[in-house]
Amino acid sequence: MALLSAGVGAILCLLVLAPLVRLVAVTLTPDGLRAWQEVAASELSRNLLWRPIVNTLAIGLAVGAGATLLGSALAWLVVLTDVPGRRLIGVLASVPFILPSFAVALAWEAAFRNGRVGGHVGLLQNLGLAVPDWIAWGIVPVVATLIVHYYSLTFALVAAALAAVNADLLEAGAMTGASQARLMGGITLPLVLPAVVAAALLGFAEGVSNFAAPAILGLPVRFHTLSTRLFGAISIGQVERGYVLSVILIAVAGALLLVGTRLGGRRSFAVITGKGSRYARVRLGRWRWPACGAALAICGLTAVAPGVTLLASSFLHQPGAFAGGWTTHYWLGPSSPEIAQGQPGILRNPQVLHAAGTTLGLGAAVAVAATVLGVAVGYCLARSRVRWLTGLIAQLSYLPILLPGIALGAAFIAQFARPLGPLPPLYGTFAILVVAGAAYTLPFASQAGRAAVAQVSTDLEEASLMAGATLPRRFVAIVAPLVARGMLAAAALVFVKIVRDLSLMLLLMTPTTPLLSVVAFRYASEGFVQFANAITTVVVAISVGVTWLARRLQRSTQPWMDHD
Amino acid sequence: MTDVRRLCRVVCGRWAWVVVALVVAVAAPLGHHAPRAGAQSRPTDSLDRMDRQALVAAARAEGSVVVYSFTSRIAAVERAFEAAYPGIDMVGFDISSTEQIARIRAEQQAGIFRVDVAYISDAPVVFGELVRRGLLEPYVPPDFANRIPAQYQRPLLANRISTKVLMYNEDANPTGPPVHNLWELTTPRWRGKVITVDPLVRGDYLDLMTEIVLRSDEMERAYRLLFGRPLVLGPGIKTAGEQWIRDLYANGLIVLKSTDAVNAAIGARGQVAPPVGFSTYSDRRDNARRGWALQIANAVVPSPGITFPALLGLVRRAPHPAAARLAITFMLGDDSPTGGPGYEPFYVPGDYATRRDIVPHPDAVPFAQLRAWRIDPVRSFERRQQVADFILRLQ
Repeated sequence: MALLSAGVGAILCLLVLAPLVRLVAVTLTPDGLRAWQEVAASELSRNLLWRPIVNTLAIGLAVGAGATLLGSALAWLVVLTDVPGRRLIGVLASVPFILPSFAVALAWEAAFRNGRVGGHVGLLQNLGLAVPDWIAWGIVPVVATLIVHYYSLTFALVAAALAAVNADLLEAGAMTGASQARLMGGITLPLVLPAVVAAALLGFAEGVSNFAAPAILGLPVRFHTLSTRLFGAISIGQVERGYVLSVILIAVAGALLLVGTRLGGRRSFAVITGKGSRYARVRLGRWRWPACGAALAICGLTAVAPGVTLLASSFLHQPGAFAGGWTTHYWLGPSSPEIAQGQPGILRNPQVLHAAGTTLGLGAAVAVAATVLGVAVGYCLARSRVRWLTGLIAQLSYLPILLPGIALGAAFIAQFARPLGPLPPLYGTFAILVVAGAAYTLPFASQAGRAAVAQVSTDLEEASLMAGATLPRRFVAIVAPLVARGMLAAAALVFVKIVRDLSLMLLLMTPTTPLLSVVAFRYASEGFVQFANAITTVVVAISVGVTWLARRLQRSTQPWMDHD
Repeated sequence: MTDVRRLCRVVCGRWAWVVVALVVAVAAPLGHHAPRAGAQSRPTDSLDRMDRQALVAAARAEGSVVVYSFTSRIAAVERAFEAAYPGIDMVGFDISSTEQIARIRAEQQAGIFRVDVAYISDAPVVFGELVRRGLLEPYVPPDFANRIPAQYQRPLLANRISTKVLMYNEDANPTGPPVHNLWELTTPRWRGKVITVDPLVRGDYLDLMTEIVLRSDEMERAYRLLFGRPLVLGPGIKTAGEQWIRDLYANGLIVLKSTDAVNAAIGARGQVAPPVGFSTYSDRRDNARRGWALQIANAVVPSPGITFPALLGLVRRAPHPAAARLAITFMLGDDSPTGGPGYEPFYVPGDYATRRDIVPHPDAVPFAQLRAWRIDPVRSFERRQQVADFILRLQ
């Protein structure tokens, strides 16, 4: 047992701690120290650091607040009111988080792009509507697309918390004569507040670390964030500056998350009774249908419209223009010198097919690696008695949640671009993508592992121990079958997280290990809009399909649905 | 095992990584992997002298060749190459020069040898870093040695000269270029109407900006010609070139990520007041297919931009050394006047072959009349980081 814990601890050190240490260490070399000075205290600082940091924080705050408001309101409607169409709203509201954030950003561009930066314009402008610059480019669309992406996460968290609110408390309140508003403010809100705060913090952290949205909708008008600046620095070979910016980005995201957790996570309520019956839903009266309409409109626009926009625009001859006619070239067409520099349609393009294979393989490999590690972490935390070691494992397995994908990618390059002890250099290999993916999804996988292992009674293991079973045998014969179902769902979600990821893989990928999301991003920045949109549609389809499968496996993910 | 020993093991294990990481970080700062020449030099020497027939046979045995290319035309080269040499698979990757440099550096440092040929521009960094450190090696096919001027053979072979020049929309400006002097681009008439690829993302555009700074005397004269008074430099600005760059940014310069995006913005037909901007002259070849009307503003004072070589280098320790050489040979073209299928993707108006025996393209400004500055890679290399940091302050 102790050996297992030590092994898991060592793996986590290698996976999480070592890249971070290395990242910081590189910035402390002479070149690194010069980069610190250039980034933080030179004439470049204003544009390299301060303005991007202000933009980054503004995005984080706006996304955290916006996603929380929207997601909580929808959760309240679905869980606590008698709004019609609750089930449909609930299903639709959980879709946007499955979409890759670059899909939403590309869809926004396909719809709202205007003439500000020249070239083709989006659907609305082509229909004769003048799209102002502030809607097409910069902070407003970046924040809007990220809210679209993350309100769905808030919705899931808050809806689960609301569903768990004990109806007896509300009834007791109602019997003492409290109004609806007072029940809400006095009982429901305090009970779900931890979930709301957690959701807001996640929205904030994701807003701070997102790369795709500012890269697609901000860079053309020179709107920079820390993540776009660090990507820019590393991709033009100013590695040390990039690492310095990574350290700063990690520090900003991590510090605010920690402070937020301290401030918001303290209060908890011991609810003495068992789970009671569901309190009668709030009657919306004449607001029922308007609320339903508004909720469905929001969900339709955020869950369905992006996918449809992308799919439709991938069939357009001229980007954004229905007038130019329709074509299947970008999907099926053979290479023709007439179109797109001879690039064939994506289903005929060997590089895209190669990328599709690598992407699926990577998703599967990371899913396996992360779930195995997650179960091991969960097992150690539940069974190991070496307290400092379990503490270390718990901390390290949670740490990556503080690390923006693009910064984690930079850390992995710093660590694995050279031989490390007995390990060969991993840069440019499939292995580094798997290792980085496993580290990135570790918090999620180990959370699932913890929950799954916690459900396995120690009685069973003790019984087998008495019968003389060794640890590996106990693990295979008892723990593994019992956690399999829960972990299968977790594996599917890890798979999706990797398949749709852009920020982590962008720096790690090399042309010999192409990935769909990165290829799509390349196409988008090269102006091959239809190819980008077609590939993104494929990624969306894979993500939605696999998530749907996972939900079937794990029916309990939406407990608020059971009561309808 | 006692608890104490276990604890020691774990702690040591944990700190060992930290220590190793620190030692590695401090002792071996990034870069400076000495090329291992000795063992490799003998077989490649004989490959360098090998005639075409023997090279093809050796390449067939290797079976494939991997090319990083700064132009998307590699897709067409790939098709032609595989048609000419069935059984040898060309795997082409369209990667910007800047990214190629970062990747080749990282891959070589990591000891990953997967790429054979780099088709790359950005000569200042390529010469100043990759070739100097031995990461890219020259190869001149023996049968072309006397058909290409020496200046295009060393330190790396170039198969053509490319451009980054001021382009305009000839559909919207039927009487000729709407700009006659680069300084006009800093005036209100062109506010928000000038486009370029981000010089901090693509080295070729940084080379253009660097050249403008290096040509500050000519920029100063051009200023006087347009405004009739000497240029007064702003605070903190040291040269006329920097002043122009600063004024251009202050005038709402639009900075995009790729040349294609710039072309579409400038060139799309049917625009009422299209922007002008810096792009590749030879992208004019796509006018008919993509509905563009790109044309070079060759007469603009003091110069429309720069010309620079498109370089073909062997990547150090290429896994397919013979096929790599065959690919380079193929991209120089055959003995027909226009270079045949291997050179066909580059036989377009606005690209200038380095081979003396390829006839100039009829639809382009002859090379001698092209007013673009020819960059000096060595001088550019010395200055470009400073120009890059100057631009970073502006955007």
